[in-house]
Amino acid sequence: MAFVEIDGLIKRYGTLSIFEGFDLNMGSTDRLVLIGPSGCGKSTLLRCMMGLEDIAGGTIRLGDDDYIDGAPNGKMKLNRQVQKEVGMVFQHYTLFPHLSVLGNLCLAPVRSRGIKKSEARDKALGLLERFGLADRANFYPSQLSGGQKQRVAIARALMLDPKLMLFDEVTSALDPELVVEVENTMMELAEAGMPMMIVTHDMHFARNIATQVVFQERGKVIEAAPPKDLFGNPQQDRTRDFLRNVLHIEG
Amino acid sequence: MNYEFNWFYVKKALPQLMDGLMVTLQLTLWANIIGLVLGFIVAIGMLSKIRMIVWPLTAYIEFFRCTPALIQLVWFFFCVPILFNVWWSAEFMGMLALGLNLAAFNAEAYRAAIQAIPHAHTDASTALGLNVLQRIIYVILPQALILALPVLITNGIGIFQQSALVALISVQDLMYEGRYIATQTFRPIETLTTVALIYFAVSFPVSQAVTLVERRTKRLLAS
Repeated sequence: MAFVEIDGLIKRYGTLSIFEGFDLNMGSTDRLVLIGPSGCGKSTLLRCMMGLEDIAGGTIRLGDDDYIDGAPNGKMKLNRQVQKEVGMVFQHYTLFPHLSVLGNLCLAPVRSRGIKKSEARDKALGLLERFGLADRANFYPSQLSGGQKQRVAIARALMLDPKLMLFDEVTSALDPELVVEVENTMMELAEAGMPMMIVTHDMHFARNIATQVVFQERGKVIEAAPPKDLFGNPQQDRTRDFLRNVLHIEG
Repeated sequence: MNYEFNWFYVKKALPQLMDGLMVTLQLTLWANIIGLVLGFIVAIGMLSKIRMIVWPLTAYIEFFRCTPALIQLVWFFFCVPILFNVWWSAEFMGMLALGLNLAAFNAEAYRAAIQAIPHAHTDASTALGLNVLQRIIYVILPQALILALPVLITNGIGIFQQSALVALISVQDLMYEGRYIATQTFRPIETLTTVALIYFAVSFPVSQAVTLVERRTKRLLAS
């Protein structure tokens, strides 16, 4: 059985339809990279996975649990316990500017999980150490570079021991020279066996980190394959067109 | 102009002016306590979606923002006792009117600050498993208070200056004492200039501090 099972997902914004029956599976050792033209619903899919979007139909399962059961008119059912097992990192960091790095990391564990302050602090310092940010523990977000902010945001999500991590264009807002440090952090997580769903425009990175690349367009999966197949020998015309366009722009 | 300055009487009356200043400062302090607390409560009420709460609060805010502070003060002093049969002191009435006036302005400052917190922080809070109350208490409000701080201080020092109006309802504040001494000594230039300088001496450092606070909060929240 798949680790993540998205079945018949329906998502609409008013009359604008993003998904009309979207299916996707993911294994527990997978790192799924979602690619596709802008507006095709990649970010929306991650937001649905995080439970941030009201979905009008379809179901999402995570592990052995029913996670989200979509229904029209805001009647969606969401299992909050399962939601807590999912972590997400956003494009614009969304660190809380009034809290130090340590404060950002410890807020949710202490306030929402009831973990002891000292315990959370030790864990936070351990994570910061691991990401080479130990000397930034008492800095405020405004004192950090974009790359550092994003790595802190990743550490903040990891504080809650997620079973699945979602990365929504986490390097898109960064200066080019800062992209690598964030991608390296994600690679390290990948090597540690963290299941991930990643939206990125960086095809090189996608090829390196993915176990499975999913090309989607207009709310449908067009092609899903391991990176060397999808990039090396795409089966669908639309995949080929898309790759030719983006790789041409990049190359 | 062949006016001969004579500061003798002002110097002699300085302790009396200081007494007046103390009354002014006390009024300012209490008005600010009312303004900060009540303003916050009103702002929270304004953000609710319940019309029965929002409409009266909107009426209150707009009434106090769209009428002169002077009429509010005089109205409280003359009309409240008749309407409600309560006979509180002029100081108390002055404090109440100024406090309610300040609360209306502060409510808008709080509300604007709360609404200025990016929606992305709501998403991030949800992703971190914080519930609505935790999000409001630990994420939204601390940022909103920092953001509102410069405006709250500016409003607060504004009420310090506005408080001079209470002299008109016979509260013996700095303005009242100044006018009294000016007429008694026939030295309006020296006396009223001194009074103005005292107001300035209190206000100016605070308004400078606001610039500093503003710079720091802007830097902190710029991310």
